[in-house]
Amino acid sequence: MRRAPLLVLALCLASQAAGALEDPAARTRTTVLDNGLRILTLEDRTTPVVSYQTWVDVGSGDEARWTGLAHLFEHMMFRGSKRVPGELRDALLRARGSRGNAYTSSDVTVYYEDTSAEHLPLVIELEAERFRNLVISPEVLDTERQVVLEERRMRTEDNPRGRLFEALLSLTFVAHPYRTPTIGWASDVEQVGVGPCLDFFHSYYAPNNVVISIAGDFDADDAVARIRRHYAGWQRAPEPPRNPTHEPTQTGERRAVVHLPVRGPLLGVAWHAPPSGHPDGPALDVLSEILSSGRTSRLQRKLVYEEQQALYAYGGYWELRHAGLFYAGVGVRPGSDPSRSEALLFAEIERVRGAPPTAQELEKAKRGFEVSLIGGLRTSNALASRNAEELLTFGRIRPLEERLARIREVTEQDVQRVAARYLLPEKRSIVHVIPGAENGANGGGAR
Amino acid sequence: MRVAAAVLPAFLALALGGCAWRSTPAWELPPPPVRRGPVVDADRLHRAELANGLRILVFEDDRLPQLGLGIAVRRGVALESVEEAGLATFTAELMGRGAGGRDALQLAQVVDDLGASLDTGAGWDSLSVTVSGLSRDAETLFGVLADVVRRPRFDPSEADKVRGELLAVLEGQKDSPAALGRNAFARVLYDGHRFGLPVEGSAQAVAKLRAPAARAFHGRVFQAGDAILYATGDVRFAEVRALAEAAFGDWPRGESPPLPPPPPSPVPAERQVVVVDRPDLAQAQILVGHEGLARADPERVAALLMNEVIGGSGFSSRLMSRVRAEEGLAYGVYSFFAMRRAPGPFGVSTSTRVPAARRALDLLLAELERAKHGTFSAEELESVQRLAAGGFVLGLETSSAVTDALVDLDVQALPADSLDTYRDRVAHTTLDDVQAAARELLHPERAAIVVVGPAAVLVPALEGLGPTRVEQP
Repeated sequence: MRRAPLLVLALCLASQAAGALEDPAARTRTTVLDNGLRILTLEDRTTPVVSYQTWVDVGSGDEARWTGLAHLFEHMMFRGSKRVPGELRDALLRARGSRGNAYTSSDVTVYYEDTSAEHLPLVIELEAERFRNLVISPEVLDTERQVVLEERRMRTEDNPRGRLFEALLSLTFVAHPYRTPTIGWASDVEQVGVGPCLDFFHSYYAPNNVVISIAGDFDADDAVARIRRHYAGWQRAPEPPRNPTHEPTQTGERRAVVHLPVRGPLLGVAWHAPPSGHPDGPALDVLSEILSSGRTSRLQRKLVYEEQQALYAYGGYWELRHAGLFYAGVGVRPGSDPSRSEALLFAEIERVRGAPPTAQELEKAKRGFEVSLIGGLRTSNALASRNAEELLTFGRIRPLEERLARIREVTEQDVQRVAARYLLPEKRSIVHVIPGAENGANGGGAR
Repeated sequence: MRVAAAVLPAFLALALGGCAWRSTPAWELPPPPVRRGPVVDADRLHRAELANGLRILVFEDDRLPQLGLGIAVRRGVALESVEEAGLATFTAELMGRGAGGRDALQLAQVVDDLGASLDTGAGWDSLSVTVSGLSRDAETLFGVLADVVRRPRFDPSEADKVRGELLAVLEGQKDSPAALGRNAFARVLYDGHRFGLPVEGSAQAVAKLRAPAARAFHGRVFQAGDAILYATGDVRFAEVRALAEAAFGDWPRGESPPLPPPPPSPVPAERQVVVVDRPDLAQAQILVGHEGLARADPERVAALLMNEVIGGSGFSSRLMSRVRAEEGLAYGVYSFFAMRRAPGPFGVSTSTRVPAARRALDLLLAELERAKHGTFSAEELESVQRLAAGGFVLGLETSSAVTDALVDLDVQALPADSLDTYRDRVAHTTLDDVQAAARELLHPERAAIVVVGPAAVLVPALEGLGPTRVEQP
């Protein structure tokens, strides 16, 4: 990630600085094995860290009968394989100061290990071992499902913001699997057995559905040779099944209430928006910045600062592979009326639909986007993530300059146009989290 | 931030090894030697001190066109009395609401227009102001920093707003089981001392805060002789030094305000069980602990290694193995030392389904007993030594992380080379040191136990653990 010599000169040309940056993606090498496994390597010897990531092209949006399966399965990947049983894998990596974890989203499941170069051979072999030789026993599955249910209680059932998010997704999507929480419904997690887990493994955990992305301090030739050796015998699988469902058009406002004994009520709103890669994406990103980035953004200024109704207010564009959302949320101050926050929020939405933003707002938003894009290049983990996510979503790694150019092209009129097109009152879903008549007697959810 | 090259020959030897390497799985090979030596690139690190005592630290990094600037002082929340709890946070927040020629919105506007960020904050031992953005905006960012540190306006109307926000934050903490647990745990250990309240203070004290109190507190703690100015990113040392001389050269040296008495110790004197009643919760939030260590304590490294074995990071600590992997009782279980200038608490925390709360607590207490009275193995020590040394370097990947760690050392008045010596200090810690730390620092027999959840279920379940009282959130 060495800075190009031209940068000093370019610094004088306002708003072009990032254009002079050498985009790390330009140095990324792609290797495809015969079995379809894709490997992205990006050497950067200016950092002491190498991030090794395995991206599986499956998320909760691919689940059929059992919700939460992609995530539960991610947990099982840490519970032992044929030659590395139990917690040995974690102990081995821990004894090398390596730092790893995994996460599951609606679209992907990601396993990462950040480590020092000398430990990369071990990481590669351990990853190959569990991806090829995972063991799933009923006993361990029973323990791990309890862990996941605890995670669900912590993140969702006892967490008002988790409850808001879950309710908002299932209200906004009536048909598409994005409506189910990634962690799954509790009753599914309680009952799913070894059989569905193994079916899931064999359907989606195949080399032609996986991308390995490595960035940081390592030797790419050596790493690719090792991956080739340890993954070469991994058999390609048929194209994995995908859900065919499309979300039908929403034809009226939807509302839901979650009763919890909260002091500070919560409010969340979502509108359907286009999926990743849509031409309206950059204008929606700019709109996000205008609404909620910084104290002078419209929502923060109005709801938090001027009217003192909220502890925080936010809004943004969330692009997923097969659908998108534009969302807004408010943490209402204890003692304040949530309907007042709702009215203020929708007044701001109507304002941005009714008139273009000022030139200053537009410039500020573009600058904010540029700063966050550059900030996202700082760690090996971020670089490896960016490469894999771009490849899986767009089939290529979009250059930084291309992304910045698309943002720079956005006009005041574009912002108003996308606001008017997507943020329609009849296409919004609204959730309130408020105390109930019995002060939230139904709180706690499934047990 | 290149790491010392000493280990490379060993690495190459391993990588290029012969048939043995091909046939033996990597996990059966001994781990490569731990890297030692300096971690901070001395060529990029520059320090200076102005005549008024203001220390300057610059860590140059031209890889990205970014810049982070800040000033930190050596006094923070711990300076407050219980009666004024919240004053440091109130002051820090108000500093960011108008400074120099700009009112609150004008200040926010100049920052937002650059896509930059301005953060003011109060920790237990320090107040700080940080500004970050693109390096091409260095002069503007520096001007904002100087205004906020030296010329905050403390407008009464902004003070009213900030006070309202802080009160809302304190009330909102009651919606978070984790915050309820933390706050009750602090209260049980340190009631009557400032450590017994959250960083943000108490509602009673915050309700009385006004702009003049913030102005006075700012005058007490923001002194050149007590401050460090730091910069990291695409900027030259000489440039920062010149800007600092111009903006801060006439800042009075001042005097450090005297520190208040440290918290009482040992606490609690005997076992106490407190149940914070939240009948609606599915999970019980559990905290167990007592007094801990100060940041500068010579036993710190031994204590951290001991803590890592019991319940540090990762999935294979003793507590994680027992409570999560074997019994599936929790998503996470961790032990911690809150090391401040004065000793903060040691604790273990987890959350589990309400009916399993007693089982989880019994396991937690049993693991603490085992650590105190049992033995640690050489393998356990070696494993956490490697973890500490390796994880330490990963945590210093970015220049801003290095800078933050160096600033923390300055704030705590610890040796400036502590980062470079850390891996050696870890390596030189013996099994005896760790064993002694466990015997001396762990006191499960008199630990405070705090559980947040439905009291009607929990109180009978916790019978026999000690004198129990129920509190309302």
